[in-house]
Amino acid sequence: MSNPYQPFKAKILNISDETPNIRTFVLEPEQEVRFLAGQFVELTVPGFGEAPFTPSSFQFERDRIEITIMKVGRATTALFKLGAGDMVGIRGPYGNPYPLNKFEGKEIFIVGGGVGLAPLRALFLALAHEINKYKKIYLRYGARSPKDIVYKKLIPEWKKMKGVDLDLSVDVGDETWKGKVGVVTILLKEIPCDLKNSVAVVCGPPVMMKFVTRRLLEIGFPDDMIYLSMEKNMSCGLGQCGHCRLGPYFTCKDGPVLTWDQIKDIKDPF
Amino acid sequence: MGYYTVFLPAVIENQVHWHRLTPDDLADKSLEWGLGHIRASEPIKGFFFSPREKVASFPEKFEPEDQKKRILFGVKACDLSALKVQQKMFLEGNFRDPFYDARLKNTILIAADCSEPEDTCFCNLMGNKPYATEGADMTLSVLGEGYLFEVMTGRGNELIDLGGDAFGPVTDAQVARRDENHKAAVDKLNRINPRSWNPDLAKAIEGKIQDEAFWRRHAESCVECYGCLLACPTCFCFLLYDEAKQTGVERTKVWDACYMAAYARVGGGANPKAEFLKRFMNRFFCKFVHFKNEHGFYACTGCGRCIKGCMGKIDIRKVLAEL
Repeated sequence: MSNPYQPFKAKILNISDETPNIRTFVLEPEQEVRFLAGQFVELTVPGFGEAPFTPSSFQFERDRIEITIMKVGRATTALFKLGAGDMVGIRGPYGNPYPLNKFEGKEIFIVGGGVGLAPLRALFLALAHEINKYKKIYLRYGARSPKDIVYKKLIPEWKKMKGVDLDLSVDVGDETWKGKVGVVTILLKEIPCDLKNSVAVVCGPPVMMKFVTRRLLEIGFPDDMIYLSMEKNMSCGLGQCGHCRLGPYFTCKDGPVLTWDQIKDIKDPF
Repeated sequence: MGYYTVFLPAVIENQVHWHRLTPDDLADKSLEWGLGHIRASEPIKGFFFSPREKVASFPEKFEPEDQKKRILFGVKACDLSALKVQQKMFLEGNFRDPFYDARLKNTILIAADCSEPEDTCFCNLMGNKPYATEGADMTLSVLGEGYLFEVMTGRGNELIDLGGDAFGPVTDAQVARRDENHKAAVDKLNRINPRSWNPDLAKAIEGKIQDEAFWRRHAESCVECYGCLLACPTCFCFLLYDEAKQTGVERTKVWDACYMAAYARVGGGANPKAEFLKRFMNRFFCKFVHFKNEHGFYACTGCGRCIKGCMGKIDIRKVLAEL
């Protein structure tokens, strides 16, 4: 019987800086990580522990995966000290992917905040791969300041894609910034979607998710058409250890993406 | 059958504890066996879900080793029903725990009647009986002149065959005596816990979700020692932690408890259950609402360990009765 607690090796091929505290790690796992957009992996930083991350690369490119990570705690601080050629551990994928079949024929309204764009990039790439299946892709992204924007080189390319409508804002601008200024909800003042045939997908810090959800509901998105990344302390990833409990769910097993309809009756879900 | 390590309940300083049988014990007349007493102080979950064990390593892979064969002799019905909860988590979910699986496969379970329920016992209120009807290989009843064994599995049958002359046929009178003992234990439990509570605990607890005063009142004397959770035979939470050793990284799985302050904390420090009240409520919601809704039964067997061990004198029966 296989051992679900056992990671396998993954070599760091490349590391690139996204922002002062966010980096993208390109990993070459020793065996395929057959993830689908929205699923996560448990990454072992040797000697420092394990933490869950959602890959941000294209789901069918399996010999190497990219994970965009913010330095926030013990494991990520140790991870940021590693370089190309170093080895990390990986196990997974875990959790449920975005239900892309349910998204077909619809307008997809994606809202990201900060490093929350990382898992949304995997979704975006999966959607863009078969863009004719979807009516339109909207991407709204907010960061604290221009230097906190992730995927700075990729965003202009996404903007040019046919069928994609992309808009950005920063909480605080600087002399280089010519775009919108304000928290991400300023991008939601007008939502050009046909609400009868749209889904919203949100990922970002808890407080941002709370206000974005409030706005989406206000404008008329149905409860079951709002998909939220509800990651908690997904320690084992297997639906066993209990730490990621959110109401009736273990977010590692039942999520990490849940609809507002699934969580609306939970006390303080964010 | 091969060699087995045998564990029996023994009475040590007026408490029943699991004891590993040694050849010397058989000659030691001072050792008092606890077959007729209530469940041991320690839940049997630790025989399968180890309190602390190595589960992985890096970069070298670690695979489960063969487990020693064991016999647990004298398991009470409340602990057998707790195994069902743990098996749901470790064997019947999306992922199987190979360590748990190997230990369970290599363990023979012999139940024993609970003839002397204590005032902390409430298995009757949780729908259980003070004697085993399933979940063991065989079960025994202590009768004055010997033991009455009832076989429950093929493995239990093999044991009887091995025993040869040690086992004889059972008389109707002996069966009647056993049934009387069963009834006496049930009657005693009904005297200890005369009142029943809301038959739908899940719904009753959910109905209290907004009533912070109710939970605050019951949590008031808790000192957050989480002894109730470690003594609980159904609690399954664990923590995985890594340590750098000379040979590489070693991953250890240890029992955890949702009452611990850092239980739900995530990288970067955000803690959705920072307030103790949320963690106190989690215990009740986990056992009586979520587990019931997902698996069809409560993750509480009425063993009473949480009551007996509580320094704050919190009686879970009181909480449930006041819903």
